[in-house]
Amino acid sequence: MKKMLEMFFNPESVAVIGASRKPNSAGYGVLKSLLKGGVFRSKTNKSFKGRIYAVNPNADKIMGKRCYKSVSDISAKIDLAVIAVNSRIVPGVIKECTQKKIKGAIIISAGFGELGEEGKKEERKLLEIAKKANLRIIGPNCLGLMRPSTNLNASFGPCMPLCEDVAFFSQSGALIDSVIDWSLDKNYGFSAVVSLGNSADVGISELLLWAKDDKQTKAIALYLEGLKQGTRFMKVAKEVGKKKPIIVLKAGRTETGMKAVGSHTGSLAGSYDIYKAAFKQCGVHIAEDMDELFEMSAALAKQPPCKNNIAIITNGGGAGVLCADHCESVGINLAELSKETLSKLDKSGKMHPAYSRRNPLDLVGDALHERYVVAIDTILQQKDIYGLIVIQTLQTMTEPMLDAKAVIDARKKYPDKPIITSYMGGKFSRKSIDLLETNNVPDFNNPYKSAVAMKALIERGKWLKTK
Amino acid sequence: MLLNQKEALDILIKYNIAFPQTAIFLDRGDISNLKINYPVALKIDSPEIMHKSDMGGVFTDISSSVELWKKVEILEQRLKEKQIKEYKFVLQEMVKGTEFIIGMKSDKTFGKVIVFGLGGVFVEVLKDVSMRIAPLSIKDCKEMMDEIKGKKLLEGFRNNPAVNKEKIIELLLKVSQLSLKEKEISEIDFNPVIANEKTALVVDARIIREKNA
Repeated sequence: MKKMLEMFFNPESVAVIGASRKPNSAGYGVLKSLLKGGVFRSKTNKSFKGRIYAVNPNADKIMGKRCYKSVSDISAKIDLAVIAVNSRIVPGVIKECTQKKIKGAIIISAGFGELGEEGKKEERKLLEIAKKANLRIIGPNCLGLMRPSTNLNASFGPCMPLCEDVAFFSQSGALIDSVIDWSLDKNYGFSAVVSLGNSADVGISELLLWAKDDKQTKAIALYLEGLKQGTRFMKVAKEVGKKKPIIVLKAGRTETGMKAVGSHTGSLAGSYDIYKAAFKQCGVHIAEDMDELFEMSAALAKQPPCKNNIAIITNGGGAGVLCADHCESVGINLAELSKETLSKLDKSGKMHPAYSRRNPLDLVGDALHERYVVAIDTILQQKDIYGLIVIQTLQTMTEPMLDAKAVIDARKKYPDKPIITSYMGGKFSRKSIDLLETNNVPDFNNPYKSAVAMKALIERGKWLKTK
Repeated sequence: MLLNQKEALDILIKYNIAFPQTAIFLDRGDISNLKINYPVALKIDSPEIMHKSDMGGVFTDISSSVELWKKVEILEQRLKEKQIKEYKFVLQEMVKGTEFIIGMKSDKTFGKVIVFGLGGVFVEVLKDVSMRIAPLSIKDCKEMMDEIKGKKLLEGFRNNPAVNKEKIIELLLKVSQLSLKEKEISEIDFNPVIANEKTALVVDARIIREKNA
């Protein structure tokens, strides 16, 4: 399956059909994104490593690039076509692509199935032409595709995202624009970003199968509005889920005016309820909002799955209680500290006389990093504690960088036990949070988010065990 | 189209789904010939009535044939007032236990969806249900029982004994199988399903078949 879509993600040559010099057009955005990495300036932008061709019958040169009248005029082999022309001439362009033996086309152009029956007919015609020549299509009516590792930005999105390990497939293109803008601010990155558009040909299930075998992808985030083939999705998600976690945000949950139906069951099972049931049944994690979608994805990509019994370490009593409340509300068991663990802590000579001696383990406000080091190590030695949330409130004597190091060292020493941190604060904590995150430790200012991330790891552990 | 009581019972029998001892009759004249153990519940069965308890079409805990005669008389009066012509009476042995709902709905994206939850007349108020897409596995059934807010009722509460979970799993699996095999059946309401330590019985079965099938 990976091979079947490879021309989209690792092409050697790309043709932009409908390349334009008008800055407010998609054809301009796509060509510029390929040449420069993005339309907006960003440190992440780099020009595409492969060959780029511009096609526009009414121009000689755009952005210094020679323009071909048609894709047929290009003598070299083309792997991928990005089409941003008026919908009326898309069928002709697709025909030319098949004659040129191109195997992949991203159709940016709108004006197809999303318009209704007439548009759907046009879409089916496109597919017929493409199928005969084994040309695969992403779109139509989409933003395009990004693959940061090869500097491929075949879209008119704002710029290239950071290269990381979450694949993001979205049924909304506009949302991708905002997600990328947000992600750069958060140092969040992607292995691939695909806007599905109308999914006339390549659909969500096929992309999942591709991501399953993609070495760069460790978790798959989905933004869904609806599925065409629910049972096929479930089957594929189950298979992919054995290897990689899938996290979904589903829009369109409130079905107002649920029709009066003849049975109780009919009125009890709303459309979103059914989606949720299906997701649970095939091991897909459900995110409640955009933040959760990407936070759960990062946690699942960067931390191991675990069993349900975890500990909290904190240097602030209130923060610990708050986190414990959140853990309980999402269904996390808080482990009991064993006698052995407590005796080790007592004998360490590093604990404050008034430390809590129970979970959440409160190290007391004046805790320096040594106290964190001993507490983290001792807690993780306890066999039936499977994961840890480390909270740090920023007191004047706190050592955030050294505390972060303690967490990072513990991750290496106990690779099977996830650690999520909650460095509560902002400006003065930034450097240490960056250190944690570049070392694959997800950090959340809000302890509730830490609990949600930990719960995702627990769910993942449970799912993998039942397979 | 809503199946009548006889057709619904035939489906239950076909899939070996347990229901209380039941008798169907037309008028008071038949009462003396009925072989059934009291106490019983009396219900109206008519294609003209969607929710029979809403029109007072159900009497429970009838303890003798004399009382039954009186209740039938009352129902006949109500049917006459409402000008309902096509009907039968259904008599059913009373069962004690906790009320659940087990149902099925056809969804255009996922196919047959099986629903489990707290049953009785308050289902639509409490909406305490869980669901899964057919075919169900045993794990799915267990999760469905675990997901409802009222799951403690399965363990027994006050006068209600703990229910036999194995029987509920069995029933859920049968509904899953039935739903996939009888493709033209589009909706099912088994409400209530009454469960106790020994058994889980379908006390009322409403089965809807697609019109064009």
